[in-house]
Amino acid sequence: MTPDETTRQALIALIPRLRRFARVLTGSIADADDVVQASLEKAMVNLEQYQPGTRLDAWVFRIAHNHWVDDRRRAHNRMGHDDIGEMLDLAGEDGREVVEASAEARMVRAAVDSLPPEQRDVVALVMLEELSYREAADMLGLPIGTVMSRLSRAKAALARRMTAQGVVQ
Amino acid sequence: MSPSFTDGQLASFMDGTLEDEALIDAIEAAINADPALAERAEALVAGEPIAAMVRDAFAPVLDAPVPERLTTTLAPREAEVVDLAAVRAAKSAALPKPANDTGRSSWRWPQLGAMAASLVVGVLIGGRLLNGGADAPAGDDLVLASADLTAMLDSAPSGQKTDLSALGEGEVVLTFRNADGQLCRQFLIQGTGGVTSDALACAGGSDKRWQIEAYGRRAAPVGKMKLAGGDAAPAVVAAVDAMINSDPLVGPDEIAELGKK
Repeated sequence: MTPDETTRQALIALIPRLRRFARVLTGSIADADDVVQASLEKAMVNLEQYQPGTRLDAWVFRIAHNHWVDDRRRAHNRMGHDDIGEMLDLAGEDGREVVEASAEARMVRAAVDSLPPEQRDVVALVMLEELSYREAADMLGLPIGTVMSRLSRAKAALARRMTAQGVVQ
Repeated sequence: MSPSFTDGQLASFMDGTLEDEALIDAIEAAINADPALAERAEALVAGEPIAAMVRDAFAPVLDAPVPERLTTTLAPREAEVVDLAAVRAAKSAALPKPANDTGRSSWRWPQLGAMAASLVVGVLIGGRLLNGGADAPAGDDLVLASADLTAMLDSAPSGQKTDLSALGEGEVVLTFRNADGQLCRQFLIQGTGGVTSDALACAGGSDKRWQIEAYGRRAAPVGKMKLAGGDAAPAVVAAVDAMINSDPLVGPDEIAELGKK
């Protein structure tokens, strides 16, 4: 396999995580898939910029995040939030078995969707992708303490919302 | 002198259980100014029931079937793969010595290579991919489909910018003959979208049509990422290096050779 082909295969393997990341950022699976598609196109076009041996996922996630930041500046009101229902539509019949839209999970997603965009960024990177605070800070171009405080506020907001909904005591 | 915080305060900050907004801001500022405090705070992160719940809630996205349009984006661009090994194998003659002592110009090969470095490929193939059209040629015989491009390669001297209408602006940067005696031209296209592509085309076959030998997009800005400079696409530079078998054709010589193709 050529190096580009190896990278291409790695990008394919990254798509599910990239979708999850974009879903948290955008709040809707439709917008998320638009972001993922645009990010993959940019990645393919700029493969020469990728440094073999460095983290491909970090490179692509950064592309995706930058794309979304630009995109949300351009189009202030996107589709708005959706949930698993639209994803089921996209996924088709096969999706119905793997996607279990439990009430609790739906509530947690709605709580995440209600966070301000800058808090969703750190939730996506630190909670879901499990980046270190330093890695997240580097990717977002923020000081580490700011990443920490955003996540702190995000956790507090999530806890309040979940408590109000009876998901956590 | 940064203020001091207790472990309890820091742990509450990290867990999101701190309610004093002013204290949150103070801790953020202190951590931003003090890497050691950042480490201390990070070490205090407790088990995270909320993080686990969030991970569970979004796990279905990881398991869901990937829409075809996303994988299609990554479909192999077979036409873009330039078989450099084959190109090199086909090269029968040794490369000429650097032409920096001809008195014609002070250009040396590395400079030519750098100029040549950025070209067209992306415009041709990218358009096909993005539009999903099946009309663009593919495979070994990638023939130029654009009349504007063909006209530029047929007659424009090196260094002259040519309007390629929808494709953008083109410029031939190098003209030479390969080991088979075919006329080859390296050119670039500055796309209307700001993407610059590099390509190498040689006039081949009985009808001497321009065939793309190599192409690549120049590194382009992605979001906030900066360009690494104006380097031409490496695939094209390598192809030119592998195929060039004459001095660069310039001035009246170039026009005369174009007439003969």
